[in-house]
Amino acid sequence: MQASSGMLTKFESKSSRAKGIAFHPKRPWILVSLHSSTIQLWDYRMGTLIDRFEEHDGPVRGVDFHKTQPLFVSGGDDYKIKVWSYQTRRCLFTLNGHLDYIRTVFFHHELPWIVSASDDQTIRIWNWQNRSLLCTMTGHNHYAMCAQFHPKEDLVVSASLDQSVRVWDISGLRKKHSAPTTMSFEDQARANQNQTDMFGNTDAVVKFVLEGHDRGVNWVAFHPTMPLIVSAGDDRLIKLWRMSETKAWEVDTCRGHFQNASGCLFHPHQDLIISAGEDKTIRVWDLNKRTAVHTFKRENDRFWVIAAHPEINLFAAGHDNGVMVFKLERERPASAVYQNQLFYITKEKHIKSYDFQKNVESPTLLSLKKLGSPWVPPRTLSYNPSERSVLVTSPADGGSYELINLPRDGSGAIEPTDSRRGQGNSAIFVARNRFAVLNTATQTVDIKDLQNNVARSFKPPHGTSDIYFGGTGNLLIITPTAVHLYDIQQKKTIAELAVNGVKYVVWSNDGLYAALLSKHNVTIVSKTLEQISTLHETIRIKSATWDDTGVLLYSTLNHVKYTLLNGDNGIVRTLDQTVYLVRVKGRNVYCLDRAAKPKILQIDPTEYRFKLSLIKRNYEEMLHIIQNSSLVGQSIISYLQKKGYPEIALQFVQDPTTRFELAIECGNLEVAVEMAKQLDKPKLWTRLSSEALAHGNHTIVEMCYQKLKHFDKLSFLYLTTGDEAKLTRMAKIAEHRGDFTSRFQNALYLGEVEDRIQMFKEIDLYPLAYMTAKAHGLEEECQSILEATGLTEDQLNLPTFGEPLTLPKPIVPTFKANWPTKATSQSFFEKALLGQMEGLSLEDESAPANGLGEEAEDGGKQENLIDVDDEEDAAGWDMGEDIVPEVEEGFVNVETAETGGAGISEADLWARNSPLAVDHAAGGSFETAMQLLNRQVGAVNFAPLKPRFLEVYQASKTYLPASAGLQPLVNYVRRTVDESDPRKVLPIIPRDLEYLASNDLQRGYDSMKANKLEDGIKIFKTILHAALVNAVGSNSEVADAKKLIASAAEYTVAMSIELERRSLGSQDVVNADPNLLKRSLELAAYFTIPKIEVPHRQLALLNAMNLSVRSKNYSTALSFANRILANGGAAKILETARRAKAQCERNPQDSIDIEFDQFAEFEICAASHTPIYSGTAYEECAFDGSKYHTKYKGTVCKVCEVCEVGKHGSGLKLFA
Amino acid sequence: MDPYSAEGELINIHNHFHQGQYQEVVDFDTSSLSPENALPARVLQLRARIALGEAEEALSDVKGKSEPELQAVAALAEQALGNDDKAVAIIEKLSENNGDENATVQILGGTVLQAAGKSEEALALLSKHQGSLDVVALIVQIHLQQNRNDLAVKEVTAARRWAQDSLLVNLAESWVGLRLGGEKYQQAFYVFEELAQAQATSSLRSLVSQAVAELHLGRTEEAESALKEALKKDPQYAEAIANLLVLKYITGEDGAELKRSLEASDAEHPLLVDLAEKSDLFDKAAAKYSAKASA
Repeated sequence: MQASSGMLTKFESKSSRAKGIAFHPKRPWILVSLHSSTIQLWDYRMGTLIDRFEEHDGPVRGVDFHKTQPLFVSGGDDYKIKVWSYQTRRCLFTLNGHLDYIRTVFFHHELPWIVSASDDQTIRIWNWQNRSLLCTMTGHNHYAMCAQFHPKEDLVVSASLDQSVRVWDISGLRKKHSAPTTMSFEDQARANQNQTDMFGNTDAVVKFVLEGHDRGVNWVAFHPTMPLIVSAGDDRLIKLWRMSETKAWEVDTCRGHFQNASGCLFHPHQDLIISAGEDKTIRVWDLNKRTAVHTFKRENDRFWVIAAHPEINLFAAGHDNGVMVFKLERERPASAVYQNQLFYITKEKHIKSYDFQKNVESPTLLSLKKLGSPWVPPRTLSYNPSERSVLVTSPADGGSYELINLPRDGSGAIEPTDSRRGQGNSAIFVARNRFAVLNTATQTVDIKDLQNNVARSFKPPHGTSDIYFGGTGNLLIITPTAVHLYDIQQKKTIAELAVNGVKYVVWSNDGLYAALLSKHNVTIVSKTLEQISTLHETIRIKSATWDDTGVLLYSTLNHVKYTLLNGDNGIVRTLDQTVYLVRVKGRNVYCLDRAAKPKILQIDPTEYRFKLSLIKRNYEEMLHIIQNSSLVGQSIISYLQKKGYPEIALQFVQDPTTRFELAIECGNLEVAVEMAKQLDKPKLWTRLSSEALAHGNHTIVEMCYQKLKHFDKLSFLYLTTGDEAKLTRMAKIAEHRGDFTSRFQNALYLGEVEDRIQMFKEIDLYPLAYMTAKAHGLEEECQSILEATGLTEDQLNLPTFGEPLTLPKPIVPTFKANWPTKATSQSFFEKALLGQMEGLSLEDESAPANGLGEEAEDGGKQENLIDVDDEEDAAGWDMGEDIVPEVEEGFVNVETAETGGAGISEADLWARNSPLAVDHAAGGSFETAMQLLNRQVGAVNFAPLKPRFLEVYQASKTYLPASAGLQPLVNYVRRTVDESDPRKVLPIIPRDLEYLASNDLQRGYDSMKANKLEDGIKIFKTILHAALVNAVGSNSEVADAKKLIASAAEYTVAMSIELERRSLGSQDVVNADPNLLKRSLELAAYFTIPKIEVPHRQLALLNAMNLSVRSKNYSTALSFANRILANGGAAKILETARRAKAQCERNPQDSIDIEFDQFAEFEICAASHTPIYSGTAYEECAFDGSKYHTKYKGTVCKVCEVCEVGKHGSGLKLFA
Repeated sequence: MDPYSAEGELINIHNHFHQGQYQEVVDFDTSSLSPENALPARVLQLRARIALGEAEEALSDVKGKSEPELQAVAALAEQALGNDDKAVAIIEKLSENNGDENATVQILGGTVLQAAGKSEEALALLSKHQGSLDVVALIVQIHLQQNRNDLAVKEVTAARRWAQDSLLVNLAESWVGLRLGGEKYQQAFYVFEELAQAQATSSLRSLVSQAVAELHLGRTEEAESALKEALKKDPQYAEAIANLLVLKYITGEDGAELKRSLEASDAEHPLLVDLAEKSDLFDKAAAKYSAKASA
């Protein structure tokens, strides 16, 4: 490349000297007018010559595209201005008037005007619509080299070899021509000649004459927004001028060109001036400081003209041998993605982050103004999540990097206070505390720590141009022809893959695959650098990102495309401007545009998802897609067919012919038959018959032969399947058809000798008839034949006969059914589509959640807590603060003890840090834990708590294998994960209350519902035990915990009542004994008392009601029925209750007297299962609140099996 | 030049050893090593074989050898075979004669003494070291096992100053980190994850270590998948079973089967020993209480 390094050349053409250039405002086109009289139209993106326009005579120096119309204008040394249509590719007309070479021509941005500058020292304004000269501006006294309209105001600026720059006011001209005018062309021409109209207005007057250049001025241009002018002259200077309403003055001079400066312009968006000169350089200047920013030198070609694209970051310069289109800087914003965050650098060099989930941009996190040189954007960004730091590289000054810590939140455009920097072309994090820096000049890679010290250093493979993360501990090293996977630790290449010109590497989200992007290729490799697939694009590939499912989406200049791991690819959508993809999530593609703004593009991922699920054989997913999207079309069908999935393609196709083909291909005979019937073409039947034959499906074969009228084949088929009846029919048919061969054949198959003889006779083949008869020993027949022919036996010369053929008899009636030789391939899809597969219903499974559970939840909310305020009754016992045993001696600061001896383990600290029994248990301090429980809730029988204690104890210790030969290191799992102050750490609690409520409690409910009361009672007791030794996170959760405990206790009581009833004996035994019957009815009634969830209570009530009805206790039964109806709920239960109620109301009498007063208020003693009427004295368990008759005081609670009944304590403590 | 330094010959075998890649250590090609590195490499290989459960073979390999290093290996092998007293005796003799300057004797001696429960003696022997990171790592571990987190922190911080990039320092720091908790959990996790996820450095031990860090971070699902991955590689690996058991307890699942498989693979595992101890403690403590009246 001839241009100096650093210039991003996008296109170069070879031609004779290029004198004029114009960019098309929308399309990737550039017009080049040449010294050789040709005007070329190039597509600079594709690099193709679109057209040539050759009507000028001699050099063409000026060209310009119209902003909106398909027009362009040119002006040449033939004094002619030509207006062309590039659509019709013709010159529309020519404007004559100039008397010498034309230097520049430009369209007005809105009016139908053209301004031209000519060596005849005039500047002229033309109307291209009525093809007239509007105005001739005189004043320059040497060649006018350049004249341009102001982009907004009614001004023209011109440059001349008379060393001056002139600014002209053309507001008069606009006024005259925007007003309706009746002036004829001649009038206008006349008026223009003296430049003033009848009102004394002047069309164009010189506003300012700018003098400062001391040689001729070649080019001049307005600033797009500011009142600035830049000019380039033969004095090798670029001059900047400023103007106000009333005056204009020289601001400064840019010195540097050492030959004539031929062109200059303002950067459309940035504060830069760009100039080109005969010294073969293009120079970029800082508009504010007027200092040189870049110089691009070309070896042999002098520059003659320079132009800027009005919208995008592109420039073009014409030189002795053609034109070049180039960018000043890379537009790819440096960015990095981590989890849900995108970090990127804006055009202002601010680091920002963007949250994909919330779809919000952060405020500026940091400003990188000082990084590199001011006009060079950073190249790459690497993010380190563990340190929240970034590595930014900049190509300025031969490459440099900077390591910066990001602030926690954006606090505006602050400069980083603490950064580390160094020289390098690429810098990336390779581990949480390491980064790699490549220096291409010295060809070294340094691995540095976060303090920027070199930890190790090595020589990468020859010609290394870039480095990328290569998976943990590895680097991907890019050379122009290959990619190396390099192990940093072992300092060697582990794998190498020959890929040309890789520019970017994109890792998949799971880190298993990487996409290597080069200009026109995408190569997908595994993490061990094995090539998986590769694809080629004719259009430049810009970026790529991975879908979560392992699909690569990549963007070219104008498309977003996808590729699967196997290389299948396709277009996802088109792009109207270049973007850089950073992430795909569902239907959203997140990307950064060239202005470094995050954008979301909508895509339809159906096609690639479908293909992906096809490859993964994820049929449910495919089915879902088939059902829910309009994914049809020839492409997907031929794709499926090509990939060997005709059975799936079959599901998409309507066209019978295609369906038939596909059905044959996948052996789906049913569909094939159906289609063949529809189409009824012999060719199809033939194909179907052979396919069916291969399957052994002879019924279909038969049908095909019938359709095809293949009688012989049919006969043979019947013979082989042993279908005699049909064979006989075939014989008849043959007779009808008069087809003797066929008749003979059938007779032969059937063993019908007479028929054969008869047939031979009919066709006068008497010898054969005779022979047949003779061979089968039919002597009479022989005789009759002899008679008929008038011959005698002696005249005949007969061979000897063997045994007559015995007819084969079918042993198995195979014709009755098909032979199951080839499995019919009914695909998963057909089954699913036919709804045959269970669990694969096409509707989303909204499994009707168990109704009971849901209702139970509601019930639970309505029902209030029981007996929480019973605590007050515990007065008199120590209600003060909990006494935490042996703890309060003050915290021993471990750090003060300097040497020697063992320290205190964290487990011991837990006991110190917490007054909760569970924390003591986790710390292994079982004695103190028991002490606490004893004091809090009167726990005395600890045996049932043993599993819980050990569970809590074990859950909080991990075993970390450390040095070889030593025991693993015990570490302590905390529930306070973020805490590191030893005085605040607390152990993890397995099966915390939330877990109990969402798992064990539900299981308990389930067993209640399923009537598995033995299991249920066990479950509820374990809930009680787990809740007893537990901890919660806040005071409000304590209430929830108490609710859980109370509920578990109620269930335990309820279940134990019902279990007692069942243990009375079988129904017959109970009925036989009046005492048992009475007790049974009582227990059934008591079962309805505990405060269990309403749906469950309904079950208890139903049970009690049924039993009562059966025992003719109609009054009691009626009360149960009424309660059921009052509770409401499941219709079935209500219906039963209504019927029972009707029955009971006829005779509301009890036949057996039981101790159950439906109107009294009472609770059930958990030990004796008898009523405790309100008002009588009772005792209770301090933990679970179950009630007992006073005589049970001092015994172990039947419900929790841990606490002593009647022993009050300070109450269970679950939160410190 | 220090053979264990980044440029040294032994760096890879040494790293393999400390990453728990014992088979790689045994398979390491030592033929190209320079003569002065042959012995340390051999010691590493013998230690790896002991770690792989080939203590008897290792013992017969060094029988009758006079080098103090190999005698120390013999002690280690004896201990692995259950002969604690014999091992300690060998080490005590060795440390008197060679303990001052021979790092291998210090390392192996320290290991043997600590494993025999003689932490103070182990620390006394180890404290004689002259810049051996292996020794530092051991000291850190002993401090941690003594619950002297403060001393362990000091040791690591000191070592960090002169051995920035060493694997052992990273490991020791992570061990300490898992004890200290808070932000250190995450840092320890990064170290272990880095080792466990890279093909070149992955081992059962680093995988389990990663899982342990995840457990402490409360990421039980990730921990479980790491542990299961470890168990897939070696279903007998006691540390993986033990930690998976702990995980089951944390998530409230049934651990009975795992406990049985732990008993089968390492009946002496500290988890089981500790559990038995605590079970007795519970029974003893519970016996102190009873209800006033029996029902």
